[in-house]
Amino acid sequence: MATVTATKTSGPIEVERKRPYVLVFAILAVVTLVELSVYSLGLPRLETIAILVILATIKASLVVAYYMHLKYEPRWIALIPLGGLALVAVLVAALTSTSAHP
Amino acid sequence: MEQTEPAGHEEEHHGSPWPVIIAVGMGVGYVGIVSPSIPILVLGLVIFAGGAGGWIHQDMQRPSSAFYGVAAAVESRFPRVSARKLAIWLFLATEIMFFSAIIGASWTLRLRTTTPGLAFEGPWAQPGEILNVPLTGLNTFILICSSLTMVEALAAAERGDQRKLRLFLLGTLLLGMTFVGIQAFEYQKLYFGEGLTFKSAPLGVNPLYGPTFYAQTGVHGSHVTAGVLAMAYTTRKAFKGGFTKEHHEAVELVGLYWHFVDVVWIFLFTIVYLI
Repeated sequence: MATVTATKTSGPIEVERKRPYVLVFAILAVVTLVELSVYSLGLPRLETIAILVILATIKASLVVAYYMHLKYEPRWIALIPLGGLALVAVLVAALTSTSAHP
Repeated sequence: MEQTEPAGHEEEHHGSPWPVIIAVGMGVGYVGIVSPSIPILVLGLVIFAGGAGGWIHQDMQRPSSAFYGVAAAVESRFPRVSARKLAIWLFLATEIMFFSAIIGASWTLRLRTTTPGLAFEGPWAQPGEILNVPLTGLNTFILICSSLTMVEALAAAERGDQRKLRLFLLGTLLLGMTFVGIQAFEYQKLYFGEGLTFKSAPLGVNPLYGPTFYAQTGVHGSHVTAGVLAMAYTTRKAFKGGFTKEHHEAVELVGLYWHFVDVVWIFLFTIVYLI
């Protein structure tokens, strides 16, 4: 049986807090510019791939944590996307073990 | 399906026949595709459209509040989460696997067919050789802007600020439409101008470059399009006063989907365009 009190603790009617949405946006915009700079620098291929994948992971983590509110949700919710990512890790491991180099 | 709620209870009634009708329509449609039979497919689409229309009409009339089923409000290591929010996260987990399969398959084809050997038909295109990276960089920025307006719309809903809720939802909708429009423009240029088709690629590039490009960006573009449709509905409901400070869960749920599509694009932009 739902109550208003429970809704306020874990539902969308979260107690209002100051959240760094604009700061996250600024970081995302700057990192995107850095990505385009790395792309145009002509660094060695493996270094380029490594830097760009790290930057993309940083951007995705910020969106998930702050815009998708995973940082503010009960922690067990994170197990759901992590479960999907675990299967992705299996897929990547399987593909890289049977594929040639890029 | 039926829930009996005490008088004065704030939670909305949860039962609705329309999702079942939508599912029946999809089932009939799939039978039409597999058979294959155009009349059965059309029948499925008609049932689907009728179910979707009925569900939208019904949802437009009622508040958008969190639903906890029969879960008790007790202290626990696993605090309660709205059933719909839980369902969206489960759906997004399946989407992670779906996109991983598409991207993984494309990456595997790239590795195997561009390595000199029996299946070698040409190298992969260099970044920027065929695709318009600056234009897509702009599109990436537009999608990031739409994520900001989406999360600000939710913040406005939580404050009960109707004007900003409508403004930010409308902004998100327009930015999403702009993203899809730019992608359509890019497709048109690539397909008819550059000769990057579903079966081939220009400049001696491996012919698999075309289909893998359209598969990865196409499924993402279709997700953005679905998000735009959902955003259009949410915006319409907001302009009709359908969300309040207490009842606005749909804004959060459509936002979760929208941000997820942004996350997917962050990786696709890197994998397809930059490396």
